[in-house]
Amino acid sequence: MNIEIRGLSKIYPNGHAAIRNVDLDIGSGMFGLLGPNGAGKSSFMRTLVTLQSATSGSILIEGMDINEHRQKIRAMIGYLPQDFTFFSKLKTWEFLDYAARLATNLKKKERLIKVDHLLDQVGLLDVRERMANKLSGGMKRRLGIAQALIGDPKLLVIDEPTTGLDPEERIRFRNILSDLSQKDVTIILSTHIVGDISSTCHNMAMLNKGEVAFKGSPEGMIDQVRGHVWQVTLGDEEFTAIKNKYSVVSTIPVEGQWEAQLIATDQPHPKAKTVNPNLEHAYVYFMENQLGVSLV
Amino acid sequence: MSAISNILTIARYESKVVWRNWFFRIVSLAGIGFVVIFNLAIFSEIDQPRRFELSNSWMMPYTTMVMISIAQAAAVVFLATGLIKKDKKLDTNEVFFARPISNLDYVLGKALALFNLFFWLNLLLLCIPLVVNLTNPNTAFNPLAFVIYPLLTSLPSVVFTTGIAFLFVTILRNQPITIVLLLGLSAVELIYYFDKFSYILDFMAFRLPMFASEMTGFAHLDSALWQRAFYLVAGVAFLFLTAFFLDRLASHKTTKLVTGLVGLLLVGVASFIMLHLLDMRQTPIALRQDMIAVNGQWAEVPNVDILTHHIQLQQVEDKLVSTSTLTVKNNHSEPLNGFYFTLNPDLGISSFTVNDRSVAFERHLQVISAGNTLQPGEEATVKIDYQGTIWESVAHLEVDQERYETPKEYLMFSLPKKYAFLQSDYVLLTTDVLWYPDTQIGYSREAPRKERTAFIDFQLEVKAKDGQTAVSQGELITEGNVFRFQPEYPLPKISLAIGTYEKKEIIVDSVTYSLYHYPDDDYMSEHLSQLTDTLSLLIRDIVNEYEDGQKISYPFRRLQFVETPLLFTAYDKVYESQQAYVQPETVYWPEEGGEIREFDFRRQLKDMDEQAKRDNQVLSDKEKQANVFNDLIKKVFTKQSGTVWYYGGRNEDQPDYSLFPHLYSYNSGVVSQDWPLLNRSISSFLRKDQQVENDYSRNMNGISFEEECNELLRTTMINEILTNETDFNKISKSVSLKGQYLFAYLGQLLGQDEFKGFVQNWVNSHQHKLTTYDDFRVALQQRFGLDIDPVIRQVYFSTAQPAFEIADVQKFEVLDGDRKRYQVLLDIKNTGGNDGVIEIKFNADDGGNDNQFSRRRENQLVKEDVPGYLSVIKVGEAKQLGFVLDEKPDKITINTLISRNIPSVITMSTGIFSPRKLTTLFEGERVLPPTEATSQSEVIVDNEDPGFSTFSPVEPTYLRAYLDSKSPSDQKYFGSWHRSRSKWRATTGSSFYGKSVRSAHFTRSGNGDKLATWEAKLPDEGFYDVYVYMMGKNQNEFNGRDDDNRQFDYDYTIHHSDGADDIKFNISKAEFGWNYLGSYYFGQNGGKVIVSDKSEFGTVYADAVKWVKQ
Repeated sequence: MNIEIRGLSKIYPNGHAAIRNVDLDIGSGMFGLLGPNGAGKSSFMRTLVTLQSATSGSILIEGMDINEHRQKIRAMIGYLPQDFTFFSKLKTWEFLDYAARLATNLKKKERLIKVDHLLDQVGLLDVRERMANKLSGGMKRRLGIAQALIGDPKLLVIDEPTTGLDPEERIRFRNILSDLSQKDVTIILSTHIVGDISSTCHNMAMLNKGEVAFKGSPEGMIDQVRGHVWQVTLGDEEFTAIKNKYSVVSTIPVEGQWEAQLIATDQPHPKAKTVNPNLEHAYVYFMENQLGVSLV
Repeated sequence: MSAISNILTIARYESKVVWRNWFFRIVSLAGIGFVVIFNLAIFSEIDQPRRFELSNSWMMPYTTMVMISIAQAAAVVFLATGLIKKDKKLDTNEVFFARPISNLDYVLGKALALFNLFFWLNLLLLCIPLVVNLTNPNTAFNPLAFVIYPLLTSLPSVVFTTGIAFLFVTILRNQPITIVLLLGLSAVELIYYFDKFSYILDFMAFRLPMFASEMTGFAHLDSALWQRAFYLVAGVAFLFLTAFFLDRLASHKTTKLVTGLVGLLLVGVASFIMLHLLDMRQTPIALRQDMIAVNGQWAEVPNVDILTHHIQLQQVEDKLVSTSTLTVKNNHSEPLNGFYFTLNPDLGISSFTVNDRSVAFERHLQVISAGNTLQPGEEATVKIDYQGTIWESVAHLEVDQERYETPKEYLMFSLPKKYAFLQSDYVLLTTDVLWYPDTQIGYSREAPRKERTAFIDFQLEVKAKDGQTAVSQGELITEGNVFRFQPEYPLPKISLAIGTYEKKEIIVDSVTYSLYHYPDDDYMSEHLSQLTDTLSLLIRDIVNEYEDGQKISYPFRRLQFVETPLLFTAYDKVYESQQAYVQPETVYWPEEGGEIREFDFRRQLKDMDEQAKRDNQVLSDKEKQANVFNDLIKKVFTKQSGTVWYYGGRNEDQPDYSLFPHLYSYNSGVVSQDWPLLNRSISSFLRKDQQVENDYSRNMNGISFEEECNELLRTTMINEILTNETDFNKISKSVSLKGQYLFAYLGQLLGQDEFKGFVQNWVNSHQHKLTTYDDFRVALQQRFGLDIDPVIRQVYFSTAQPAFEIADVQKFEVLDGDRKRYQVLLDIKNTGGNDGVIEIKFNADDGGNDNQFSRRRENQLVKEDVPGYLSVIKVGEAKQLGFVLDEKPDKITINTLISRNIPSVITMSTGIFSPRKLTTLFEGERVLPPTEATSQSEVIVDNEDPGFSTFSPVEPTYLRAYLDSKSPSDQKYFGSWHRSRSKWRATTGSSFYGKSVRSAHFTRSGNGDKLATWEAKLPDEGFYDVYVYMMGKNQNEFNGRDDDNRQFDYDYTIHHSDGADDIKFNISKAEFGWNYLGSYYFGQNGGKVIVSDKSEFGTVYADAVKWVKQ
């Protein structure tokens, strides 16, 4: 699976430019799309799954222009939108079967087996007879991933999958995705939660105000912040002074003092020592230093 | 994935979604409940249903379909908009949008989901009439009806409503607005337009005429099918357009383009269907106009008269093949340069010979003309071969378009109208469709009064299909399937029915009475089985009573009652006093008795049982059956008993099966070029129905329909009324009022009984032919010495009307020897602008006691009709009319005929007769000397006088204002059934005070805010007795009926010199006329009486107040 995006822009009728001139190449495996709220992630993904057209630019999936081969592309896609909560009155299995009938050519018997298999896989078999709109938030999301997977898609587009999930559900969800990424499926995952990407994606891009701020691997992004993440333990007074000057990523009270991690190009305090950065550090660093967005 | 599979998938699951929708479930349950109750109440034997509800096997499923049509369309609008609307809100739907389905799959799938549910709902609803139908032994089961009607009604209606709802909500992107818009459009359509343009806009098929006859099946089904096709195709077109406009990226630009194009193409097809529909409607309208124009061109062209006419007719499927051999004669004093016939324009002529020579002829629609010269008195033999089908729209050209297009009412359906049948299994032809050549020219604007000119010796030979029976006039000779009809006397026209008739006949006093009915409709044998041996006696009694009543003998050798399809329709005519239901020797009664209650033998017998039980009577079955038979004949055909309630103001044709045309119109006639209305007037003068007719127009409109027409006759001359675009019922009523007036006038001049006797003799001595007005006039002149021409001229040309004031009514009980006699003296003054005639009757039956809902009573007494006393009162003249009666009359009826009087017929209860010693009794009339105006000591203020005023401070609520505004604002009088909530309004009636107009104001009772005031200027100071005019017991009729002795008051306030007094006046004890309120001193400022609207009684009337000096 190869996705080639060139000069993609989406300007809504009200003049808001949600995506600006995006160039991306996405291959197999899991691809993370990181960005703050309103960065254009959902617009990008809706465009990718043919729910809306781009204002300019092109998307080629496996060499096929999505404007010309919408039907074929739709047949390859599994899509889980951001807010997957409002259902019409269908039972859990019916909802999945509805999707299955539209996405596959399977005979009834095989289809029903597949439906139950997927329900089992996402842990919903016990509630197959329950009305879909009576499921909990996590269950709905799992049902969402199940319906996205039902047609054995080559491209899985998942918009903000972990928002509002409790940690247990979140881990479960990540595991499902990890399993999938072992197969020959391209998964595009958008999130504003850095942890979602760092634990699963090999490739990523960061969007800000509709533009690509970074593209590459998470390690590549982390590398760029290496040497700029510091840890220092300070008293109240010094901590307040430093907090106002630098982006503080985390603060832990330790024995009557503050142990803070912060981002700075140069050593911010004589006691400060560099630490090994992670993706979250990189994200803050990028947002603050490269793009001038105040996150903290 | 194939498109079909996608559509089915979407349909399957969306159906589930809708099925789980509470709105759908509630609506369905309500519908089922409603249909169950309706079917049980109307069609099951729980409450013995009326015959016409059961007789037609098409009815039960159709009724259910029609009943649910509106609710179903509304439900579809709600659900359909919901189905598409949800896409905006539910993100879960986006995952389906990302699936490889086309927009069309999506839209069609959702639509199919809805169709699927409504299919099952309809099926379920239809099971209800099905069960009732199958379990009721008195109904016929017709499986086809259960299939055809849902397809004709629900299917196109659901598809169209879904389509338009989908499209609107997709374009407007707002469900509430779409619902309001669509329901609003439907309501406007339903209220204003659904019955316009031949029901083209009736998308729900709520009133589209599609009812089928048991005898002949569907009629005009083509236009109904085209109409349904339009909505079906338009609905599908809208679905395609919805897919085009759907807010989702199409699979491909081309796909979208194709979807849009197919949508447009379907819109094109729908438009074509609509154009075709309009054309189908317009073609007959245009044809009728063209034919009227052609009639106008030929109306004054002299023509031959037909002496004999021999028709040979063969029915070939839905065509007829005929040969007419006619003997024609030039009865004019000048040679004729040609002659012409009329014939249905769809009958093609293959040969036209005159005296065995083929001649050239010209054809202008219905008129065929040949150029042969005929000398005065010369006869010729004309032979015409013609064949083809019949255009029904040529019938009844004088009927205007609106009346022509208004369907027949039947239960809750509108029936398609048929004027003739020519189909392979049934034929019904009357001269209205010109099925044989005739010299009569029909209606035209230029000469609307052209009359028929001949009685013809007819012979008819019909070759029917095997197993079919032909029915026409004359003696019948049958040879195989050839039926020869030979009338023994000339007839003005003949008609023909061919069908699988069964015949029953009986000969009584050398007249053959026959009944032709369809095999399944033999109710006579079923319910009147015991009459076999007494039937001839019953018939003889009825005939004798009828002939005695009319004083004209039945002129024909036979009388046949022929069952005809329900859809067969006739109209009231201006110049004819008969409808097409009645033909010479023949009455066409409606299929299975139609809606005529007297045909419902089972119900009639049951009602009679109940009545007998109430009256403690014991009736044998035979007696009951005889009563039922008598009832049918006397109420429906001879009109010698019964009471009819009708609303004269409604412009519609009521079927008339009266046999009277046999006695006059088909038997005789007085032809006049100058007075074309005369013949009809003679007919109504002679026709004596004993049926009481009650028009409730006054309760609806404040004045009676007759008074409305009188008002019209004051402003417009009768011939203008005829040619203006006046409502037909007004034309008809005005014409009969003029006729009634003319003959009352002539009767007064010539002697009522003598004159009537003369006319009756004239008819009896001129049977089977026409006479001319000149002969009639000369004979009258010889007998009475009076030329009627100036009288007729005066009556027809004048518009001025008399106005009668009943100045005084005196009643005495006088002892004459040892017997009581009753003297009534009426002083009547004509204050109007023309001489006038009044008719006085005592104890006339106005039907007031015969409740319309009461069932027939056994041996209902036919009252001997006492002719009224007629009197001419000249302009400005006052007359005293004296009557001496042996029995105390209960009421006096004064009919002012054509006058300014409202009510034009005044009925007064006589009340108390004061005893008197024997004085000279006065019987007859005398002119009173002119008297002084009203007495100085008495002042009356009527509600019509300037001294009367009303005060209505009640601010109407929106509802009140709406309810009140339903009456037009320029109306002067209002019906008592429409009591205003916020105003005082005037109404009229015999029970009110007034000079020529007897009226009172009335209002719905309230909390005392609305006031009516009578203010009088009194000539002298002093003590006055104050009286108020009351309706008496009538006012309290509800109280009387409920018999709970409730007492009601009106609140009066009397303003006099010493202040004001409040009086609670008990109206429940009031007498009819003046009621004493009290005596008070009034100064020079006069006095004032006020009544408020406060009363426990529903209505407060304010009529007149009288001050009488002590």
